[in-house]
Amino acid sequence: MTGVTVRLEGLVKHFGRVQALKGIDLTLTPGELVAFLGPSGCGKTTTLLLIAGIYKATAGQIFFDDRRIDHLHPRDRDIGMVFQSYALYPHLTMFENIAFPLRLQRVPKAEVKRKVEQTAELLGISEQLLRRPALVSGGQQQRAALARALVKEPRVLLLDEPLSNLDALIRLSARAEIRRLQKELGITSILVTHDQSEALAMADRVAVFSVGEVEQFATPEELYKAPATTFVAGFVGFPPMNLFEGRFNGAFEAKGLKIPLSPGHPGGKGYLGIRPEDIRFDGEIAARVLLVEVLGKDSLLTLEAAGHILKAMSLEGMQVAIGDELLLNFPVEKLHLFDAEGKRIQRQAS
Amino acid sequence: MRRYAAPLLFLLPATILIVLFFLIPVVTTVFLSLTDISTVTFKNPSWVGLQNYRDLLVDPFIPKIFYNTGRYVGLTLLFNVGMGLVLALLTSLIPERHGDNFRTLWLVPRIMPPVVYVFVWQGLLARAPFGIISDLTGINQGWINSSPWTTIILANGFVGASFGMLIFTSAIRAIPRDLFYAAAVDGASTWQTVRRVVLPLLRWPILFVTVYQTLSLLTSFEYILLLTDGGPGLFKTTVWSLHAYKLALSNYFGNIEFGLGAAMATFLVVIGVIVSLVYMRVFNFRELVSEPKIEVN
Amino acid sequence: MPLLPQRWRLLLVLLLVIGLPIATGLIWLLLTALFDRVHGLIPQGDFGSENWRFLWQGSVSGRPSIWVALLNSVMFAGAVAVIEVLVSAMAAYAISRMRFPLRSMYLRFALMLHAFPAISLIIAIFYILRILGLFDTLIGVILVKASLELPLGIWLMKGFFDHLSWEMEMAALVDGASRWTLFWRIALPLVRPGILALGTFALLSAWGEFILPFTLIVSGKSWTLALYLQSFMGESFIDFGLMAGVGLFYVLPVVLFFLLGQRYLLNIYSGGAKG
Ligand SMILES: Nc1ncnc2c1ncn2[C@@H]1O[C@H](COP(=O)(O)OP(=O)(O)OP(=O)(O)O)[C@@H](O)[C@H]1O
Ligand SMILES: [Mg+2]
Repeated sequence: MTGVTVRLEGLVKHFGRVQALKGIDLTLTPGELVAFLGPSGCGKTTTLLLIAGIYKATAGQIFFDDRRIDHLHPRDRDIGMVFQSYALYPHLTMFENIAFPLRLQRVPKAEVKRKVEQTAELLGISEQLLRRPALVSGGQQQRAALARALVKEPRVLLLDEPLSNLDALIRLSARAEIRRLQKELGITSILVTHDQSEALAMADRVAVFSVGEVEQFATPEELYKAPATTFVAGFVGFPPMNLFEGRFNGAFEAKGLKIPLSPGHPGGKGYLGIRPEDIRFDGEIAARVLLVEVLGKDSLLTLEAAGHILKAMSLEGMQVAIGDELLLNFPVEKLHLFDAEGKRIQRQAS
Repeated sequence: MRRYAAPLLFLLPATILIVLFFLIPVVTTVFLSLTDISTVTFKNPSWVGLQNYRDLLVDPFIPKIFYNTGRYVGLTLLFNVGMGLVLALLTSLIPERHGDNFRTLWLVPRIMPPVVYVFVWQGLLARAPFGIISDLTGINQGWINSSPWTTIILANGFVGASFGMLIFTSAIRAIPRDLFYAAAVDGASTWQTVRRVVLPLLRWPILFVTVYQTLSLLTSFEYILLLTDGGPGLFKTTVWSLHAYKLALSNYFGNIEFGLGAAMATFLVVIGVIVSLVYMRVFNFRELVSEPKIEVN
Repeated sequence: MPLLPQRWRLLLVLLLVIGLPIATGLIWLLLTALFDRVHGLIPQGDFGSENWRFLWQGSVSGRPSIWVALLNSVMFAGAVAVIEVLVSAMAAYAISRMRFPLRSMYLRFALMLHAFPAISLIIAIFYILRILGLFDTLIGVILVKASLELPLGIWLMKGFFDHLSWEMEMAALVDGASRWTLFWRIALPLVRPGILALGTFALLSAWGEFILPFTLIVSGKSWTLALYLQSFMGESFIDFGLMAGVGLFYVLPVVLFFLLGQRYLLNIYSGGAKG
């Protein structure tokens, strides 16, 4: 396995007055694929470019295994990177694009040819090697960019939204393919995306970014089951979790709503969350249906309860129409509780 | 320091050449103007302070040269800007393809080597059988000698007009089409559209061309040198820059008065520096200096 | 302008009239060069070769051979173009794409020089070349000519480099390139239109250059075609036919460059290359 441990310690990055990163701490285990997930402008690309050495950190350190690398020039870091625009060299053929990193290392000609052809084969673009990038499809450009990143057998692979410019069908197959290659080669990889389904489907672990910070770094399952903050709760999962602002007072009270909790919670202000798919319809909370969106097998309901707007998933076989009155049940074991700062309150042993 | 080794390397050749042939010359011009350097004293000139400037003040020919310069710059400028404007408007009003052809035609004088260009003027203005003007007017004379100023202004003007023409043309192209359609809907004639829509929008380009060409006309003397060499007769068409050049670099009266020439050139250099400073100020600089997105070199 | 006046043909005629002197001049040059004798624009003699004797006569009244002048002109224009393009491109690349202290100052300075009338420095440049021992050498004039056009070149090339994709440069660095390699193998090939524009401009401008060689070169062996042709001008008897021959010979390459590089050139001339 070629993978290394990648460790980010207290990475801070300022652009003039803009604080792009406020302090990132992450450790990636060898061969792992980690997704950076977050809304636009939260610093995902910045983090990648710091790892690649294009930007210099304002503070903090980067280690590959136990070697500190943040003072190294990009060329000495042994990284492969795929950019969102693919960044292929338009004046070179696909072959020369992929060969470029090898040529810079002065690899013998025959060896270059062998490696380029092998990598192209692996990615299924052998037929296009003699063309210029502008003359091949977007999907093929994306593969060429990936081939160029992989051909030098890097220790770390960085992918900055590699799939966002592909159309939906190709995107699905490309996901699977990148995942397969990455596992086969065992390269420690980071995938930047703002598409949560991509992150959840491909990554071993996901780092959820909010503005300049990592909110939670966990497996996709954990993110879904135990979001660490209201930000993660609202960002991961579709449709997003319903969040109510209110007070804990034995039960949870929010403007006209009173939701019973299991005993043993502290008091004070906070948030309560419940996923739409966890809401049941056998309780006491009165709600009116505002909108019904059919999603296939079931429907997404937009409801109004005591002035709060919330979403719920209909159950199979349930007949709902706009204007219907429903009685909702928020099962205690499905509730997510957050304190006034939005941090998750660990549920007491239940 | 190693951090900046790469940009240093990239900038080194340009910096050396700019220092050698811009910066040092500016200082040298001023420096030479304060010495008595001439053919005789070339090897070891001595410091004379402002003597050269005093000499200029009392030189009986300087007022004439000053007047010549004003006349040359003023009239040529008028021709350049006026003709530039006329050409830009006319070529924009006719179908694109024809317009392009005429603009190319007007670029010819600019692209011709000056010596050939001047030679053609000499030919056209010569006595018969070569001179066409002599033929056409029936007055067989050397026209350059009989109307040196007209010749100089026209010869310069035919080169200079294309500069304004190109700038104004691109300015006209940048005018939103809607404005023309709006004017047409309002029932404006072509002439009214030109006057009320186009010309007001050309204010800044006209100012730019005027300033830019004033500066280059003040300092350039190539065509005068070739056409009349400052004559005929004593200083008839000698302008400031030509006089400076001749004092310093061409055997006019035997002794080359390098220091005196430099004193005259100093005026031009100072004007040049001032105008460039203003130019730099006025220029919208902000958008030109976005930060590079790569932080390593 | 999207307004075609109804009587645009009238404007066309007007343009023809004011453009007439230029066309006449060109035709005059052509006819005078090609025929033994002309009267105005009317050829009188035969299709003549007498005007072209400079081509095979080793030397016309003590002048160096035209071929020496041609070679000098080719070397002069070629060297100026190469130096101007490379040096401008390197500096422009640094200014456009690299971080270093005083970057914005450098940029301002280049802009200022662009407006500065360099020809006013000719006296001092003469003096400096004398001191450097480069007076009366082709290499000296080449350096001066290329330098005086550097501000224009830097500005032009910077504009082209500004449009390169940052991600592509980042990719090259990650692929293992140094800035130097990146410049030669990626950036420079991609600003080809800029190189062609500046190169064509520099070639034309140097090919026609008169004042600099006139001032900074004395010996006949370093004459360029401009000096060669000009040397006929002061004579008491002017052989228009011969001069037209030389002139045409001198102008032909210009026609070629111009036709090849025309579409790149318009930008530069409107950028204020020459008053
Ligand atoms: N080179 C730069 N100069 C100045 N500010 C920058 C630069 N690069 C990024 N920023 C700023 O830093 C912040 C983080 O940007 P970054 O590109 O890392 O976001 P991102 O998470 O990749 O977003 P996106 O999903 O839109 O790609 C943004 O506010 C951005 O404007
Ligand atoms: Mg990004």
